[in-house]
Amino acid sequence: MPDVQALVNDFVNQLKKRKIEGSQATAKQTAEVLRSVISQQRVPHTNQAAALINAVRAVGEQLIAANPVELAVGNIVRRILHIIREEDLSLATAAMAGLGLSVASDDEDDMERSDQPILSAAAVAAAARSTLRPPSLQTLLEDMPDSAAVPHTSSSGGDSEGKSRSVDKGSRGRKLKHDVIEAVNELIQDISTCYEQIAEQAIEHIHQNEVILTLGSSKTVLEFLCAAKEKKRSFKVFVAEGAPRYQGHLLAKDLAARGLQTTVITDSAVFAMISRVNMVIVGAHAVMANGGVIAPVGLNMVALAAQRHAVPFVVLAGSHKLCPLYPHNPEVLLNELRSPSELLDFGEFSDCMDSASGAGSLHIVNPTFDYVPPKLVSLFITDTGGHNPSYMYRLIADYYSADDLVVKGRPTTGS
Amino acid sequence: MWWRSASFILDRQQNDAALRPDTSSTVTPPPPTESSSAMGLPTDHNPNISAYYQTRAAHHAVVTSDWLAQAQAAAAVAHDPPQSTSTADPDKPFSVIDVFNNWRRQPDLAEAVAAIRALAAVIRSSQASTMMQLEIELKKASDSLKAWDTTSISLTAGCDLFMRYVTRTSALEYEDFNSAKSRLIERAEKFGEISYKSRKIIAMLSQEFIFDGCTILVHGFSRVVFEVLKLAAQNKKLFRVFCTEGRPDRTGLRLSNELAKLDVPVKLVIDSAVAYTMDEVDMVFVGADGVVESGGIINMMGTYQIALVANSMNKPVYVAAESYKFARLYPLDQKDLAPALRPIDFGVPIPSKVEVERSARDYTPPQYLTLLFTDLGVLTPSVVSDELIQLYL
Repeated sequence: MPDVQALVNDFVNQLKKRKIEGSQATAKQTAEVLRSVISQQRVPHTNQAAALINAVRAVGEQLIAANPVELAVGNIVRRILHIIREEDLSLATAAMAGLGLSVASDDEDDMERSDQPILSAAAVAAAARSTLRPPSLQTLLEDMPDSAAVPHTSSSGGDSEGKSRSVDKGSRGRKLKHDVIEAVNELIQDISTCYEQIAEQAIEHIHQNEVILTLGSSKTVLEFLCAAKEKKRSFKVFVAEGAPRYQGHLLAKDLAARGLQTTVITDSAVFAMISRVNMVIVGAHAVMANGGVIAPVGLNMVALAAQRHAVPFVVLAGSHKLCPLYPHNPEVLLNELRSPSELLDFGEFSDCMDSASGAGSLHIVNPTFDYVPPKLVSLFITDTGGHNPSYMYRLIADYYSADDLVVKGRPTTGS
Repeated sequence: MWWRSASFILDRQQNDAALRPDTSSTVTPPPPTESSSAMGLPTDHNPNISAYYQTRAAHHAVVTSDWLAQAQAAAAVAHDPPQSTSTADPDKPFSVIDVFNNWRRQPDLAEAVAAIRALAAVIRSSQASTMMQLEIELKKASDSLKAWDTTSISLTAGCDLFMRYVTRTSALEYEDFNSAKSRLIERAEKFGEISYKSRKIIAMLSQEFIFDGCTILVHGFSRVVFEVLKLAAQNKKLFRVFCTEGRPDRTGLRLSNELAKLDVPVKLVIDSAVAYTMDEVDMVFVGADGVVESGGIINMMGTYQIALVANSMNKPVYVAAESYKFARLYPLDQKDLAPALRPIDFGVPIPSKVEVERSARDYTPPQYLTLLFTDLGVLTPSVVSDELIQLYL
């Protein structure tokens, strides 16, 4: 499949050169690339899900390595792995239910069969639940049906109706792929519409005559504010400009164009203005499993200011930004240093630098992200509603399966 | 003793009610630790030293004074005969507590697992012919186990967890009684393996959090925490450990010995030097006797203090605890727990007018804990209540 490989390589290159910006665009493209990987993947007759998972995992590993700081890539890879597992299980459950029915109706005389099929549907459903769910106290107690049901699935069909089963299996393979692609399409759809779903909730959070503060530019925030404006709420917005990229200027222009009363302030004026603010609404780069936020640089300061003055600090994040990993030393490991040209023009301070050796007394550091610890965040608004930082784990448990947390590394024999 | 929370009073009443019929039944009357001395019941352990503390001492090899030797000798005398008779003589009434005590004496076996094994023995020896009968028998046995040592949290949690499983299984109502019974026994056996495995899982999960060059403060001796540090040492991580002394039973000394054997740089600090050393520390690692519904932990005395200091200096506090330690308790404050008493050797005679605080453990509220490493994954404190609610709903 040279065309898929080319597609993947192209995407990897774009990621490496940081040509794709923003987690939404990245997430969408990742999903699209993986969709074509899945559609090109030839599935064997047995164990189709494993083949798909391995293929996605192999590509996913390359994509994650291409830009480890863009967590959305890893999130989408894990989401798709989870989708494959889910679809496979739902198909297996359906198949088992069908088999159990046919057995019950056809073979009344066959007595030795009657002892096994009773547990079929219920047991498979239980097994499906326990494999998909993250480990919990319940599954700790109830992992018995898992071992009981799996050999049953593979062995039971072997005796009588071999031919019809193989046909059934072939169609099941195609069905699995079809279902997975369908689900991935849904995921892509979700990613592109997450703005609207978040914006829908704006009216519940923004009230009349409130003063909102934001920093930098985020499309989610723009849509959120505009949605409230469209519902005839009148409120003021303070936009901190977000040095060094000054994307706050763009946001302020957009907001003013839509008729919102907007004030631009410098980043350093946040503390001076925060006492007049009712709510801080910001976007995020990624949300970690503990509820911590990787956000554009400067936001930790805003969060601290908000906490100091007991102003709610609200983070808007689409579900593709939800990362199932815990941050380890996020200020360094999940950060990226951008070009110093954003701070200084070329040649401006050249007399401070020794151009020959490159080792002058002047250093310029331009980090991209800040880590905001979970206790500074009051509320997350995602496309599924508002959540407390300590509740993030539950969303993560819904979207990801525990086996996929480590995408790269050892060959997974266990799963 | 003054119990502040109404819930605790209710629990006591229930326990008492459950106890009374036991005296006439086959299950031997469990001497409740609190009331035993007042009621004059014969006890097999020193009323001044809680059973909880005895187990802890046995597991953690705390041999500081002769009282323990005496207590153990007394316990051995009391326990050994039933051990032989319960296997040899089928006529003797079966006692859960004896079985439990036999299991409990294994050094590496957690108390909760011993309790579940003991309950499995109840199922095995039970003559019940319906699920309901079996359930009632089990309930009785688990109540007497719980009442035998009201201070042990993991014992109560283990019993509750297993009882919950039994009721759920019978609620499913598939298969006949015998297969359900064998399933339950099998499950109980498996639980022991899980408890061994869970320490390994916890050690693996926490590896990522131990980074090169970090300094870890550890309080007391916890088998899980030791496993975590051992694995980190085996993974060639470079880290330093500060062990608190853990007065009065000096469990920290033992941990520092063990770590020194692994060539991990260790420094012993006295318990009162925690705040002094905290600015060098990168993270605090503690075990837990029990994880309660609020997400807080009940652990060896001094944990709360360390968590407070760590929190005020913005250091993360990590807890390593197996999931069978999740208990359905909601302590509102420190006094809202059955205190596990222990003797304290001050080295000099204490005048009888001076009162001594002898409680062996304290409660650390969830807001001072950063993350819990359990075999269910890395959890924030609020997940614990979620898990418990899901299970016991």
